[in-house]
Amino acid sequence: MSTSTAPVVAAALRPGGWGFGVGILLSLAGVAVLGAAIAALLVLGVGVWGNNIPFVWGFDLIAYAWWIGIANAASLFAAVLVLRRHNLRTAVNRFAEAVALAAVLAAALYPILHLGRPWLFYWTIPYPATTGLWPQFGSPLVWDFWGIMAHVVVTSLFWFIGLIPDLATLRDRAATQGRRRLARAYGLAALGWRGSVVHWHRHQAAYRLVAALVLPLLLSAQTVVALEFAATLVPAWHEARLPVHLVVTGLPAGLGVVLAMAAVLRRALSLERIIDAVDMDLLARLLACAALASGAAYVHELVNGLLIADGAPREAFLARISGAGALSYWGAVVLGALLPQVLWRRDLRMKDWVVIPVGMLAAAGVWLDRWSLLVGGLLRDHLPVHAVPYVPTPAEWALLGGSAALFALVLLLFGRVIPVVAMFEIRHEETEAQALEEQR
Amino acid sequence: MSAPSPYGAIAEFGDADRMVAAIRHARAAGWSRMEAHAPHPVPEAAVALGAHAAPVGWIALASGLAGAAIAFGTQWYLSVHDYPLNVGGRPPQAWPVFLPAAYIVGVLWAAAAALLGMLWLNGLPRLHHPVFFARSIHRASQDRYFLHLLAEDPLFEPQAALVFLHSLSPLRASLVRAA
Amino acid sequence: MSASVALAAAGCDGPEEHGHPLHARARGTEQEAASYASVLDLEGLGRGVLVRTRGGHAVKIEGNPQHPASLGATDIFAEAAVLSLHDPERSQRIRHDGAPQMPRQLNAALAAARDALPPDGAGLRLLTGPLASPTLARLIGEVLNLYPGARWHRCDPLADDAALDGSLAAFGRPVAVLPDLARARAVLCLGADPLGPGPAQLRQARDWSVARRNGRAAGALPHLFVAEASPSLTGARADRRIPLHPAEAESFARAVAATLGVPGLASSGSHAAAAGVAEALRSAGQAGLVLAGRGQSPAVHALAHAMNHTLGAAGTALRLTAPPMARPERMTASLAALVADMVAGQVTHLLILGSNPVQEAPAALGFADALRRVGVTLHAGLWFDETAQRCHWHVPLRHPLEAWGDSRAFDGTPAIRQPVTRPLVEVAYEEASLLSALLGTPLTARAAVTATWRDVWGEESFESRWAEALETGTAGGPAPAIAPPLDPGWDRPGRPPSTGLTAIFAPDPGLREDAQNAWLQEMPRPMTGIAWGNAALFDPQTAERLALSPGDEVELILDGRRVLAACWPTPGQAPGCVTLPLGGGRAAAGAVGSERGFDANLLRPADGAWLAGGLEVRPTGRRAALVATAPPHRPDGSGAVPRLRAGEELPPITPQASLHPSWPQPGRAWAMVIDVDACIGCNACAVACQAENNVPVVGPAELARGRGMHWLRIDRHDHPQAPAASFQPVPCMHCEKAPCEPVCPVNATVHDNEGLNVMVHARCIGTRTCSNNCPYKVRRFNWNDHRPSLDTARRNVEVPLRPRGVMEKCTYCSHRISAARSAAAVEGRALRDGEIETACQRACPTQAITFGDLNADDSAVAAQRRDGRSYALLEHLGTRPRTTYLAPVVPGDTT
Repeated sequence: MSTSTAPVVAAALRPGGWGFGVGILLSLAGVAVLGAAIAALLVLGVGVWGNNIPFVWGFDLIAYAWWIGIANAASLFAAVLVLRRHNLRTAVNRFAEAVALAAVLAAALYPILHLGRPWLFYWTIPYPATTGLWPQFGSPLVWDFWGIMAHVVVTSLFWFIGLIPDLATLRDRAATQGRRRLARAYGLAALGWRGSVVHWHRHQAAYRLVAALVLPLLLSAQTVVALEFAATLVPAWHEARLPVHLVVTGLPAGLGVVLAMAAVLRRALSLERIIDAVDMDLLARLLACAALASGAAYVHELVNGLLIADGAPREAFLARISGAGALSYWGAVVLGALLPQVLWRRDLRMKDWVVIPVGMLAAAGVWLDRWSLLVGGLLRDHLPVHAVPYVPTPAEWALLGGSAALFALVLLLFGRVIPVVAMFEIRHEETEAQALEEQR
Repeated sequence: MSAPSPYGAIAEFGDADRMVAAIRHARAAGWSRMEAHAPHPVPEAAVALGAHAAPVGWIALASGLAGAAIAFGTQWYLSVHDYPLNVGGRPPQAWPVFLPAAYIVGVLWAAAAALLGMLWLNGLPRLHHPVFFARSIHRASQDRYFLHLLAEDPLFEPQAALVFLHSLSPLRASLVRAA
Repeated sequence: MSASVALAAAGCDGPEEHGHPLHARARGTEQEAASYASVLDLEGLGRGVLVRTRGGHAVKIEGNPQHPASLGATDIFAEAAVLSLHDPERSQRIRHDGAPQMPRQLNAALAAARDALPPDGAGLRLLTGPLASPTLARLIGEVLNLYPGARWHRCDPLADDAALDGSLAAFGRPVAVLPDLARARAVLCLGADPLGPGPAQLRQARDWSVARRNGRAAGALPHLFVAEASPSLTGARADRRIPLHPAEAESFARAVAATLGVPGLASSGSHAAAAGVAEALRSAGQAGLVLAGRGQSPAVHALAHAMNHTLGAAGTALRLTAPPMARPERMTASLAALVADMVAGQVTHLLILGSNPVQEAPAALGFADALRRVGVTLHAGLWFDETAQRCHWHVPLRHPLEAWGDSRAFDGTPAIRQPVTRPLVEVAYEEASLLSALLGTPLTARAAVTATWRDVWGEESFESRWAEALETGTAGGPAPAIAPPLDPGWDRPGRPPSTGLTAIFAPDPGLREDAQNAWLQEMPRPMTGIAWGNAALFDPQTAERLALSPGDEVELILDGRRVLAACWPTPGQAPGCVTLPLGGGRAAAGAVGSERGFDANLLRPADGAWLAGGLEVRPTGRRAALVATAPPHRPDGSGAVPRLRAGEELPPITPQASLHPSWPQPGRAWAMVIDVDACIGCNACAVACQAENNVPVVGPAELARGRGMHWLRIDRHDHPQAPAASFQPVPCMHCEKAPCEPVCPVNATVHDNEGLNVMVHARCIGTRTCSNNCPYKVRRFNWNDHRPSLDTARRNVEVPLRPRGVMEKCTYCSHRISAARSAAAVEGRALRDGEIETACQRACPTQAITFGDLNADDSAVAAQRRDGRSYALLEHLGTRPRTTYLAPVVPGDTT
């Protein structure tokens, strides 16, 4: 057996260590909090949140846009790695796909839970109702409904297609170890994969195709979220640049989370050889790059808001960047765009104690950006309507923390029961590396 | 107890290059019905076996276009004909608003079709396959490479096939039973 | 014994005694809506109302067009009365020392008490609120005849004794000044607030708006000057507002009087603004008018009388009549005399009828302590309130909507009050029957009222006039004008002005005795935006000097009396004075009314003075629990309200080019025009909307979180130039290009074929995105389930209750549109213009709201759309609102 993939398989098949157990327990506790928050929400209604008129949305849509951003950046990263194939170390793409999938699952909570009557969410689906009514297809929220559904499905497919051969590996390893029941479970999931070279050929084509399809989809997902704001008449939101802004500023969140999670998991699951220094280096530089792009987006926003915009949009932007809105706006700039620039220094980006906080803080910065848009953007409206400040309640914090716990739980379970990195990719790379050495 | 007719004859190789060379030899020797198994994609082997991946793309493209068209048509029919409403003073036939959902559904269908089409072309999923009777075939998912001459090949005769396979200097060669 | 018989008889006014239906539906059944004419009192004076009932329940109050104090409009107190009627916290039981009792136990106790009275009734005292009811006055007179030793006292915390003194000084007799603002061309208000809440508000506001309408048409607007200490509704709309410390008021009035050449002026005064004001008054001549208000000294009232006399205003800009109140006297003196007698032990029996002196009298007077010295005390009232808790006996009273009675309007016009619903509290008594029981003559209230009017009208014409009075809602004409000569020695200069920070006590603009009324509590006060409580109003400079921010807690100290209050810096407040609204800080006003704000009565001097010098303010460093729906100062930075000079016109509202072709709009196109020039910000429309549409009350905590549900809000925009404020009511705009609709994912808000922006509650899933996209922010979301509090007998069954989690908003009263449409269909005719009145339109005292079909060229609403003052809110957004506005006209040259 190839020595290089053994730790990966071992990580998936061995009993969990104590760290893993603690992690699972913590995230299970968080998920229990999530369950309580959801139960309170369903029983008592969205009144348990701090929203009001005009701040009809708060933590719900902030978290939604934020998780979508994380999912998008992680998907983008994974898809680009798959599409560019062998030029880069691709060990982390499976892991990035898992991050994307977990983030999409966390995000998908919100469009339903934020409703005043969540149990009626299916009214956004065109089905022959007795009323004869259909959804209003012109609404960005319907697009968003389709978008998030498609996002969940395509991200899952992308992840699953890449996983099929690895599931077959696990099946065979489990069978060799005599764990027949486990082997049967993996075998069912592997769909009877037998490593046929012809199958591999079609599999690679489908994999790359879905990777390519992820790109337009994640652009559209973030764009549709942005359209929910940009299509309104709210002066701070009614901006043609908003979709691009959300896509670009969302990248540091996803890459930051992938980077931090990669740093944590390679330690926790002893995968330093699989997700190696080159991977981490690449990821860190990508994060710095994304933060640079994000910084450019902020510069454009500032130029647009202060120099080009006029009237209500300009005043609304001024309200966002000064006074009550200043902390979130400039916090977003500092954490999301400026702080990751330290990763340009190689000595810093190779240290876990740097990349973990920087990655998480970049994600926090993007969260602040969404807060600044959603809450800060409403500080100044067309009419001087007196707005009571939006103050999130414990129920909302519980939901946010709970969704993060769900994210962590899904990731931990991924790491436990399925290969955390793509084994076939590693094997593939190794044979190519051997071939290169032989040529020399 | 008479020996049942085998499913094929299989040879195991330690690296991909040997397997590719073996495939080329088999093709040159006139074998036409064969399979190869590898723990990772081996493009040269696929070329040697004459595999084509393009149908996956065509299936995805056709499904994507169909999905988009159906989504657009459904929205248009429901909004314009089935239950037209004055929504914000917009005429119901304001078709640009139907595009985002059509686009998303198109992508969704294409992605689903890529997976399903690939599985369909591969004849998957299936619960069992005779090649799993082959000894150490489980290492095809880890670190071994296999060439499998199928019994349905007109040239196939068990002993001759084994002899031919041994001529390719594999780690091991054996017959695969059919059931 | 006779008393017990009387009380037993008084207790059974059956439902058969309900009044005449005035406006029955074409297809009338028991369940259909019907209206009854009646009258509701405010500060003892009546405003005619039509009460709509449904299935025997009163559900909505509207103004009686035939009543001179209503003219079809309502104020917030009349609108809210129907909620008080259904208040579950109303007193339900007879109580003795707080413990529930049976009626026979009360009867026995009263019989014993009556037997204990000496024959001349010495020691018996009656205490009522202010009243103008002919029947109650007659019955009280009979009680006093029967018991010559008995006395009648009144507790009226809002009485203006200085006005009485002023008229005594000027004319030697009490007079009522009835301004005719429709004919006045120049009006000076010395602390008077004719457009503010009060028993004459509806009439005066209508007259004022008529004068402005005529003035705009003639190209010469009437002048309105307001010199006042604390911002009022009248001050907000004045052509010139002069912030005036009360100490300067007399000097200012003297300066104006001197310029006008008023004879008999004892001394002159000076004020920079006086000359211009006097000049305008002089030019107006007989159409000039000076009004002195609450809180002014007797000398200022006398000065106002003298100025009006000099201008010759009587007969043109004003009418003088005898006061409508029964037996005018100095109310504070009346109550002080009672307390003195109680303390002296001269009072053995005290009957308190519909008054709450423990709460309403200044705490310094010591009424509550004195009450303990009275042998037998009986309180009759709607609520088991502060006074009821301290009396031996408490008897629940019927709500005015349940009881027979009568009343007089501010101009003396009498009206019969008929019950419009069965008594909701079985054991409750009527005031008239309690008094007749005291007389020993068993009479129902209806019998007492008919007896009064039988005497007035004579036996032969009684039946027809009674029926007519019940149908029209008035029982005669206004009081005749009088023309008393001006006493040559009218001018008796007042006391020297007090020094230091001056406390000004003032009625709360949103509260009277109905602190229990949640609609009133939750309605933001127009000049402060404060709801569910009150605050001490500081001028911004004083607040700044004391480093006070809005909502900071301060300790107010006056002559050693202390109270904690919230501070509210109020632009326009005259420097050096602090306004303290009365009626807050109640201890026993139920869950709704208790502990809301602070009780200014704890500070008020024992003599019930409206002003007191030497107020001390100590910031406590804490924040007060204050619910403010808006900041103190609301500049119109966005130019939401364009202001025109006389004759100026705005460009016509032209629909912006749109990407999509317009949706064709054949047939009717409902639209609303709101005249901002006429709006006085009185909130009547908002309360009417709340009553009509089952709009929930959310309570102070939710309101403070910005979750108020009022479908109609009134934005006040402050301006540096006069008028100081514009009030802009903002209902749903029913935009033709409604931005809320395209963003809804489930078609829960769409247009109907008459252009209404319809909210389909049943379809709403609560994404709230429509509110995001509403630039007017008129949509309201049900954050909580408000249905339990609304699903009472009071609810308007024609408007559905909305569940938790759905949006709601103004519907243009679409149920009224459907009702009118079916009525027209049944009668086989077309809808008439003006036939459909929205609830807000109906309530508006100045008729600022017009509703109708925009597609009908001859409709009033189409005509107003063509007016040069017409503008649409946020027109540049291209929403094409169906609700448009008429811009206010600013004064030309009065700077």
